[in-house]
Amino acid sequence: MEGGGGGGEFSCRLCGLSTPFSYFGQKPPNTRAVVLLEESYVMKDPFSPDKEKFLVLGSSCSLCAKSVCVGTDCSLFYTRRFCLPCVKERLDQFPQQIQAEVAKKK
Amino acid sequence: MASDRRGGGRCWEWDSPHCRAQMDEIFFRPHDYIQAGSGEHKDFWAFFERFQRFKAKKEMSGSKDSKGRASSEGKPPKKAGGVDLGLPKEYDARYRINISVYTKDVEEKVLSSKHGHATSGSGKQEIADCRLALLHFLDFSQKQSFSKLAKLRREQKSLPIFQYRDKIVNLVKGHPVVVVAGDTGCGKSTQVPQYLLNSGFTNIACTQPRRIACISLAKRVSFESLNQYGSKVGYQIRFETTRTLATKLLFLTEGLLLRQIQQDHSLGQYQVLIVDEVHERHLHCDFLLGVLRSLTGLRPDLRLVLMSATINIKLFSEYFNNAPVLQVPGRLFPIQVIYQPIPAEEQSSKSEKLDPRPYLRVLQGIDQRYPAEERGDLLLFLSGVAEISTVLDACQIYATHTNRWIVLPLHSTLSLAQQDKVFDIPPPGVRKCIICTNIAETSVTIDGVRFVVDSGKVKEMSFDPKAKMQRLQEFWISRASSEQRKGRAGRTGPGVCYRLYSESDYDAFAPYPVPEIHRVALDSLVLQMKSMGLGDPRSFVFIDPPPAASIQTAVTYLKEQGALDARAELTPIGTLLAQLPVDVVIGKMLVLGSLFNLVEPVLTVAAALSVQSPFLRSAQHNPDCTTARQPLQSNQGDPFTLLNTFNAWVQVKGERGGGSRKWCRRRGLEEQRLYEMTNLRRQFKELLRSHELLEDEATSATTEQRSQRRDRLTERRRLHQLKRQHDLQEGGRRKVLKLGEGGEDLAGSSGSEEESSAGRGKKKEKDGAGESVDIQEVKFKLRHNVHELQEVANASQDLSSRQQCLLKLLLCRGLYPQLAAPDEHNATRKESEQIFHTRNKQGVVIHPTSVFASDPEVLHVPELERSEFGAEKGQSSRHQLLAFVTLLETNKPYVSNCVRVPALQALLLVANSVDSNADCTRMVVDGWLELCLSDGDGALRILSSALTLRGEWERLLQAQLSKHRAPRRELEKLGENLVRYLLYTEVSYSLCRLTALQTQNLYIGPQPDSALEGAPILNSLFPGVKAEPDQVKGGLRVTSFFTYNCLSDSKDLYSECLRTFWTCPHCDLHMPFTPLERMHHEATCRPGGEKQEDELESEKPVSSSTSSLARVYHCDLCGKDLTLTSTEILKHKRQHAVQQ
Ligand SMILES: [Zn+2]
Ligand SMILES: [Zn+2]
Repeated sequence: MEGGGGGGEFSCRLCGLSTPFSYFGQKPPNTRAVVLLEESYVMKDPFSPDKEKFLVLGSSCSLCAKSVCVGTDCSLFYTRRFCLPCVKERLDQFPQQIQAEVAKKK
Repeated sequence: MASDRRGGGRCWEWDSPHCRAQMDEIFFRPHDYIQAGSGEHKDFWAFFERFQRFKAKKEMSGSKDSKGRASSEGKPPKKAGGVDLGLPKEYDARYRINISVYTKDVEEKVLSSKHGHATSGSGKQEIADCRLALLHFLDFSQKQSFSKLAKLRREQKSLPIFQYRDKIVNLVKGHPVVVVAGDTGCGKSTQVPQYLLNSGFTNIACTQPRRIACISLAKRVSFESLNQYGSKVGYQIRFETTRTLATKLLFLTEGLLLRQIQQDHSLGQYQVLIVDEVHERHLHCDFLLGVLRSLTGLRPDLRLVLMSATINIKLFSEYFNNAPVLQVPGRLFPIQVIYQPIPAEEQSSKSEKLDPRPYLRVLQGIDQRYPAEERGDLLLFLSGVAEISTVLDACQIYATHTNRWIVLPLHSTLSLAQQDKVFDIPPPGVRKCIICTNIAETSVTIDGVRFVVDSGKVKEMSFDPKAKMQRLQEFWISRASSEQRKGRAGRTGPGVCYRLYSESDYDAFAPYPVPEIHRVALDSLVLQMKSMGLGDPRSFVFIDPPPAASIQTAVTYLKEQGALDARAELTPIGTLLAQLPVDVVIGKMLVLGSLFNLVEPVLTVAAALSVQSPFLRSAQHNPDCTTARQPLQSNQGDPFTLLNTFNAWVQVKGERGGGSRKWCRRRGLEEQRLYEMTNLRRQFKELLRSHELLEDEATSATTEQRSQRRDRLTERRRLHQLKRQHDLQEGGRRKVLKLGEGGEDLAGSSGSEEESSAGRGKKKEKDGAGESVDIQEVKFKLRHNVHELQEVANASQDLSSRQQCLLKLLLCRGLYPQLAAPDEHNATRKESEQIFHTRNKQGVVIHPTSVFASDPEVLHVPELERSEFGAEKGQSSRHQLLAFVTLLETNKPYVSNCVRVPALQALLLVANSVDSNADCTRMVVDGWLELCLSDGDGALRILSSALTLRGEWERLLQAQLSKHRAPRRELEKLGENLVRYLLYTEVSYSLCRLTALQTQNLYIGPQPDSALEGAPILNSLFPGVKAEPDQVKGGLRVTSFFTYNCLSDSKDLYSECLRTFWTCPHCDLHMPFTPLERMHHEATCRPGGEKQEDELESEKPVSSSTSSLARVYHCDLCGKDLTLTSTEILKHKRQHAVQQ
């Protein structure tokens, strides 16, 4: 599933964060040995002077397929991406550390 | 994984360079995401160490229970949701990371090569540790960047203007002009340009009244639009730009946009123009609005957005054909207003010092009412610098008693370092008290202010056209300013505003401040309007037209200055002056300087006079500084002191680079001003060159050795890197203030440090500034060639007395009519009571910063001469005048930046109006200064040479301006002659100001017939100039500036008794002459060798028009009636004389 290319506006369905992305997929350009474990919306890291540095903005929830940002209020990654509403629905299946984390947010 | 652990990562030596090198070979190869040697690589290893320590700690303390719990609770869950997600049972932080690093191929290679000479344990463990750390590191930096982004977006969303985003975009799309009004903190300046950019507009320009705002806005907006390392958003100010072809949004000053309109009338390069802060009503902004108003008709596709505080919005909307207004509420916290009018006994009259007690009471009140733990600083608005220092002293004393305050002044004459201090943070339990002028009302925004004290007063500059003088006067502020000041208390939380006036005072305030266009001299504005072809300034549709009288004053002034001709059209010199971003007088200096071989010093002086003085006022009372400054001072005048200072500074820069900072500090100099001077003088030079007033220099690069050039390039690359690094540093972190800090002792405080230890000092300084490079030094080196500057400085450092003399004359001609004459009785007055007079203002004094304030004797007529036996009262050959740059009335009218010049010579060479009596022993200059010479012969000689010199000077200047560069030889000759005239004119004269009565009866007025007779003679005296009876003054107008025999004590033009015997030094002719005949003879009879071809040629038209000039002459000697011109008559007479 080598996605790739793209460009457009990424928008988180949960918090509304919206920002242009330049690449969608698992292998952003010029990252060499680095690969992503999920298909992600990626942009050049705007806070790094280095042109090759990338920033993952978000991806699709592995359960509901909603586009969500990587912010901890919207989603978490645990071998796969889960949007927070989906996590909450199946909280018991997540390890205790994550359960505690999510509980703290409420 | 658990089985892999052999006591964590501590067993292998991760600080061994060898080990790290091996890991680098696997993970950080030259083309990898992170490369060995990069900044991030360094960060990684630092992170790695922390990570290992953290892991070790965790294992020691919590390995048993956390693991135990994990295994027991990680048992197959209940599957309540139905679907099994198939998540790993045992929690591992590794599963939280969405990044992986594939290095298998490299690992194998490295491992296999290692097996040969195995040094330490199995490489696998090390690689695993390193990989895990790398993953966490990558994840960490992702999180860091993302949270920055999220925070940014959150902040943008929370701005009041955010809700109006679509509305603004739609309005702009649908209307040529839109007004966006919003109060401080609504976010309009940063957001509106972005909204437009994001909605597809490109080529957006956004003007700002202040340069500093252009820079900070460009920085902020490029950060917010995630382009801080690109050039999509840039700024352009006088000497600096970050604009590239990729720039889509440009912040620039109002003045600069006006200059661009001068070049490109339709501003085709922009699609959208945003004019910010229009409510501030600066001169440039009002004018810009006027220009843009007519541009909207010319360019229907152009989009114009005016942004304003919620002040007088209707005015702007109506001016632009009822443009739609979008009003955005500000984000202000509630502010409690307390009126505390100053009781009568504490009110000070104009002459008295301000009484600080009412202000102290506010500080005490705050201490009583608000616990020290509750943060919140105080901003105290006063009208001026003197007031600030009075209140500062009192508050300082209070602060040392209570230990609860740090008191800081803030005004524009402080050094930048001192100004910057107001942003530092006070220690807990202590409040900042910032005592400021209205600079903090709009220009400077300080966070954390909770209390505002408003004196209700402001000092504002106004122009008095009658006295031709600027005036700094104290006024009540307007209600708009008052609200603005109050608002400063509610930016970060609820606040309190103490108004030291009554509510009824407030109600009586004017609603808005007086716009600048109603207060200042309009010379530059009118000149610019002329050069933009905007027609009659009086009919231009300003948003709030200035009084016609003040436009008239400007037009008259520009005519006097030669920038406009009699029909109020631009002259060649006026055209040039309009393009120089300086005052007309400074521009004139530059043009004049380009004529002679004095360009370099004139460039420096012109630049120095166009920036704030580098001499810090606060250092004036520091004896160390005064001593250190001594060698820089010149008693020729302040421009020479500035010239010396600049030259000395350049030498220091050339010799020890960054050491100049200390050099400046010792002398109480603001180095920033010297940098500005360097930039400005270069800009001047380029302007002169582009107008072909300067020859292109033979570039020193050609003589430069190849190796030198290579060195220079390497150096430049290094400097660029330094600048880049500096630019990347997000604005320095704020320092914490110490109790007792503040006051005004910063300048020169380190003056006692040994200067000889410059090398060491530099390092120390670096440490002090937190390892920051001196970015100004870097920029300076990037922009200028120090060695070239040094050469220039060398050349103007050792000006000969002749060059100095000529330079003074140029400055004087540039500054004219800004002249002041010393009072007759100054020699008998105390040093502090020296009085001067200008044509329009009596009794001005020299500003204490001027060299003549401390050394007034150099202006006195020498004692010896005054008491000389037989000399008439007041007669001397040493009278002097002051040419000055500014006349500003504060508590007294002060002249500053003065240069002294010999009175008679300077006046005859530069004045616009010289009137004489019949034998030219009495001359009145500009209708206010009277020169009386006892030696009639001398008088004529002097006047006649002045006329010749001026004619020649004017001719060469016009040639230069019309791009036919005058021959160098002629210029040199003129220079020499001018110097000789200035230095060696030895004639005694008196210098008086005319009384009012004398002025009234100055001229004889037009004479019916007799005066006409002289006309032909005068005509040939100055070829090309029509000498005619002066219709107002009477007498004869000989040149544009000289009217002969019009003074009321004058005798008849040709009365025989004026004829005296005289021998011409050139042709030895000896006969009785009237003064006019004599001048005429002198003008035509020059030693043959001196006559130049073009001069001869220029005489031709005169002789060809003989008929009109000739008259019937009866020669008594030969008895013939001849039709001759006056020249011919003289020649004829001479024939007889020779024959006899
Ligand atoms: Zn989100
Ligand atoms: Zn989901």
